[in-house]
Amino acid sequence: MQASRARLFKEYKEVQREKSADPDIQLVCDDSNIFKWTALIKGPSETPFDGGVFQLAFAVPEQYPLQPPQVRFLTKIFHPNVHFKTGEICLDILKNAWSPAWTLQSVCRAIIALMAHPEPDSPLNCDSGNLLRSGDVRGYQSMARMYTRLAASPKKG
Amino acid sequence: MESDEDNMVDANDVESVDDDIYSGELEDDYYYSEADGDGGGEDGGGDDEDGPGYDFMAEAADDLVEDSLYWRQQQSYSILKEDDINQRQDDAITRVSTVLSIPKVDATILLRHYNWSVSKVHDEWFADEDGVRSTVGLLDRPAVHVSDVRELTCGICFEFFPRSRIVSAACGHPFCNSCWSGYINASVNDGPGCLALRCPDPSCRAAVGLDMVNMLASDEEKEKYARYLLRSYVEDNRKTKWCPAPGCECAVDFAGGAGNFDVSCLCSYSFCWSCTEEAHRPVDCGTVSKWILKNSAESENMNWILANSKPCPKCKRPIEKNQGCMHMTCTPPCKFEFCWLCLGSWSEHGERTGGFYACNRYEAAKQEGAYDEAEKRREMAKNSLERYTHYYERWASNQTSRQKALADLQQMQNVHLAKLSDIHCTPESQLKFITDAWLQIVECRRVLKWTYAYGFYLPDHEQGKRQFFEYLQGEAESGLERLHQCAEKELQQFLTPEADRPLKEFEEFRTKLAGLTSVTKNYFENLVRALENGLVDVDSNGSSSRAAGSKDTGGSKGRAGRGKANVKTGRNSDD
Repeated sequence: MQASRARLFKEYKEVQREKSADPDIQLVCDDSNIFKWTALIKGPSETPFDGGVFQLAFAVPEQYPLQPPQVRFLTKIFHPNVHFKTGEICLDILKNAWSPAWTLQSVCRAIIALMAHPEPDSPLNCDSGNLLRSGDVRGYQSMARMYTRLAASPKKG
Repeated sequence: MESDEDNMVDANDVESVDDDIYSGELEDDYYYSEADGDGGGEDGGGDDEDGPGYDFMAEAADDLVEDSLYWRQQQSYSILKEDDINQRQDDAITRVSTVLSIPKVDATILLRHYNWSVSKVHDEWFADEDGVRSTVGLLDRPAVHVSDVRELTCGICFEFFPRSRIVSAACGHPFCNSCWSGYINASVNDGPGCLALRCPDPSCRAAVGLDMVNMLASDEEKEKYARYLLRSYVEDNRKTKWCPAPGCECAVDFAGGAGNFDVSCLCSYSFCWSCTEEAHRPVDCGTVSKWILKNSAESENMNWILANSKPCPKCKRPIEKNQGCMHMTCTPPCKFEFCWLCLGSWSEHGERTGGFYACNRYEAAKQEGAYDEAEKRREMAKNSLERYTHYYERWASNQTSRQKALADLQQMQNVHLAKLSDIHCTPESQLKFITDAWLQIVECRRVLKWTYAYGFYLPDHEQGKRQFFEYLQGEAESGLERLHQCAEKELQQFLTPEADRPLKEFEEFRTKLAGLTSVTKNYFENLVRALENGLVDVDSNGSSSRAAGSKDTGGSKGRAGRGKANVKTGRNSDD
């Protein structure tokens, strides 16, 4: 069996076993393709994303874990390091700082950390980055909160 | 410039008969500002400050294998073969390993990190050993202590393995053999960045060196790694460069600082150490690179690269941006971080400078059309193909002529000189004037070739300069034709054994050819200087009087003593 499949299967079993290990992350493998995953992550508290649930799509390459998975937000999010239209994420561990010791789970954790600590100096969403860079934290937060409410809030009822 | 075409044709320049091809209405590339003396760039710096008279004989002599060794010894550079490179690399590693009392593998990692400078390694190490260890990733004790269990979990595939199948770097993080192999092989195949390989654990900085590569990588990757290591010694070392000649595996170790950059390899290829293009006086490095890019720009590949990539501002490799933010990091070993929009260094894009906003302004300006100029320039470059073709053809044909002349010169030395010596009962040493003439021809062809690149970048609106340039070039062509004619055709009649010509006639021939050589040499020297000065004297009607005067006082560094020619050999920087 190819190494990537074996490794993903390990991660799959780990996710099944530790379902409640991290209540903020819910990783789900595609029914028919072990190389496609989705994740629901909770917006970290004390951030404008608090209360939102964001969906991520994972596309895992054949060379995984020697190469990083491709991850993007399916849920619209106003964040300096996430492309507003495509959901593409600018995160070093998904590019050149990838290490095969990372897992899909730890990637999710890194993304949650990125949500709490944006890097406005490497912006994919320039409007968002510029708000933070110019020191308009309130402006940034209210925009981010608005989009969290519009796009990432669980539908009630 | 059109008005001057007749001059050029008159000057029996067969190659410029169809000069009217180029219309000259386009100005797709700008003129490089070559002020007198030095163009200001680091590259050409000093190139043009050599004393007059050194270059012709000396450079031409470089083309002769038998002479080159002699000249090289006087040069501030040396040629390294692969064995020499290995030897030097080994020496450096052994020295560091001995002095610091560390294993050779660690010494290798240290040296590579500090660009193979032994003294730099010593300085840094003795100033702050712990700091260096942590930067480079040489741990003196394991970061994790593995308890004494029989089985361990590999950190990559998460399978259990007996201890015998688990390998760790100095840090102790456990990974299985096959995951290590995959990790190392993938990294080696990613390029020379593998030389700075670290432990796969994201929080760990422990270096992975040659010993682990040799233990775990497959043969092909081991070989590649060794290759990268050797290349790193030449490429990361500030004092060495590969000889750019195809198939040549020598490297040049350049000891001299600023000054003349022309070097000549064992393979007899002469090139500019600064830009690694072939030797190109009187044109400066910047123009040469533009010209060469232009020469290849007509290919589809280059069109695509121009349209879809930007060169890394530091290492100039073309980069295609296919995803991610504007914060670019060039691939190792360059690793330069820059902004894709303005190509400025990313470190200048702090909040303090408002750097990123400047790039927003770039976007705004582009929308308003202020940046359309670059686009227009590209358009025009394509439209100016005809003008370009004119210069290119002449550039290339002089290149061909030069190759031919080189071959003729070899032939002359190997065959004809002995024959002549016999027929005319003259020692070969007294026939040196013929070799000199051919050396001169070879050198003149080289200069003439580059004047066409020069002419291409001469701005059209500088009418005076252009006319003067074309006049000089035309005269140079006709002078060279005279010399070439004499050395080739007139010599023939003295080569037939039946030619029972009086000695007087041969002496006349000697006087004529030596005279022509000397006149042509002077003319081309003046031409080179005038062009290197950017034709500043164009209004004062003397191509190089001022330039020649200012170069008398000479330092004694660099090529001093190299010139056979009588005039001054020194170089100074008062220009």
